[in-house]
Amino acid sequence: MAKRSLALQLNEVVQWMLVSLRPRPEESPDRELASLTRVAQVLRELPREEFRVALKSDLQRRVSMSEGTAAVPVGTGETKASAVHYQRPGLTGITPYIIVRPAAQFIEFLKSAFEGVERMRMPAPDGSIMHAEVAIGNGAIEVSDGNEQYPTAPGAVHLYVDDPDATYARTLQAGATSFYAPTDDHPSGDRWGAVKDSFGNHWYIAKPRGWTPGPEGLRSVQPYLHLREAHKMIPFMETVFGAEALGVHKSPEGIVHHATIRIGNATLEIDEAHAEFQPMPCHLHVYVPDTDAAYARAMDAGATSIDTPRNAPYGDRAAGVKDAWGNSWFIATYLGQ
Amino acid sequence: MATRRPVRKGSAKDVGEGVRLGTEQSAGERVLVEAAQSDPAKFEVLYKLHFERVYAFVASRVRERSTAEDVTSEVFHKALASLPSYEWRGVPFVAWLLRIAANAIINHAKRAAREFPAPDDPPDRAVAPELQASEMRAIEYRAQLFRLVGRLPEVQKQVVYERFVEQRSIREIAQRLGKTEGAVKQLQLRAVQNLRAQMEGGHG
Repeated sequence: MAKRSLALQLNEVVQWMLVSLRPRPEESPDRELASLTRVAQVLRELPREEFRVALKSDLQRRVSMSEGTAAVPVGTGETKASAVHYQRPGLTGITPYIIVRPAAQFIEFLKSAFEGVERMRMPAPDGSIMHAEVAIGNGAIEVSDGNEQYPTAPGAVHLYVDDPDATYARTLQAGATSFYAPTDDHPSGDRWGAVKDSFGNHWYIAKPRGWTPGPEGLRSVQPYLHLREAHKMIPFMETVFGAEALGVHKSPEGIVHHATIRIGNATLEIDEAHAEFQPMPCHLHVYVPDTDAAYARAMDAGATSIDTPRNAPYGDRAAGVKDAWGNSWFIATYLGQ
Repeated sequence: MATRRPVRKGSAKDVGEGVRLGTEQSAGERVLVEAAQSDPAKFEVLYKLHFERVYAFVASRVRERSTAEDVTSEVFHKALASLPSYEWRGVPFVAWLLRIAANAIINHAKRAAREFPAPDDPPDRAVAPELQASEMRAIEYRAQLFRLVGRLPEVQKQVVYERFVEQRSIREIAQRLGKTEGAVKQLQLRAVQNLRAQMEGGHG
């Protein structure tokens, strides 16, 4: 019995380590558990086997190319073995791109409600915001006042935070209205609350409990799509973006109650639209290894074109498509500086 | 329940390997470095010896796995390129690698700060160029633990990678391995206990 409970205790500690955005508060568990915890903490930094192998063959290739003259200058940013060379630093596989007006006020909301940190703002000639980025936790939200091609479109975002009750309270102070206060009864098993801000965006504010994170761990910011015929979105994302469904909960009739979908190193969630959670066609920014190929696959899968692939002035290969549900996908590949 | 087996300290069968790992000291190191200087193909030996140390050092200073990989990659590319100018002065080769790593981390932070200047979040988490002995011991500890994972029984190793690297939930791992969640938790415990036993063995 003692043994079995140790397995459970260790798993609780590990679960905390993997999903919390902050270090575990100092506690004094028993000596046995404490020493196991120390080992587990180191394991969290265990290198990926694929990376070790890829870097080794990178180095071998470099050696065989330079044939004895090892003094080849190395560009500092050159890292072929990296898993995410195609993503712009600071962004993940998928980021909500929220276009609402006035964007400047929305940014203030993100700062006061979610402790967002504005890290970029590019004004348009008329003084509106062409593009801005606000970091929240380990994720980000992109923001713009939009234009004719990309009109305003609020969205739904699932935020993982350490204190959902405090965050929920701040959103209300910042002008949001409540769907419901954080509760432990949410079917996800997370502590979960929901609000709508004054720009029309939904925010699902949760503390992780039973959630299945992707390989890169918990993401603070996840787009949440309420869709009609949500089950058809899964093959669309699999085909176009090489997405992977991490957990799909369906009714016996095949209605998707909830699914977590991984694209690259990030995740988004979908469900069948219901009650006050109706479709909100929105803008999403995805980084893929090959924009042209993803764009072509999107066209084949029935998306319509917004922008054909081009080299954008900020250094991405970028394209835009609209899916059958009306969501816009900015598809991008980071080309390096 | 029936498969439950206590893992006593020091009882893991390959404790001996743990002992040996920590002790590849400078004796043959100079020979290895000079061999790689005259034949870069031999750099691979140095890579195998030091990969875990460099990664452990970098991962302890940068948060994101992808950044840790970028920086580690940069360190070895740079080390390979600069190897001809490396002079043997009796300082362990790893110290040279870690100095490259410390610089690479600073450069990386500066590049990130240029792209996303964030006054609230000073990117430069000051990297002391000279490592304290205590920190060197911590790096050795982590590096050895990383290596020992490769010597765990296959299924335990699998659970460790799925859980800590892929960060999958117990439920998902159970499904992938075709085991019960309870069994996966036991395997997780046994793997961590095994590693702890071997690390303690390694310290004598």
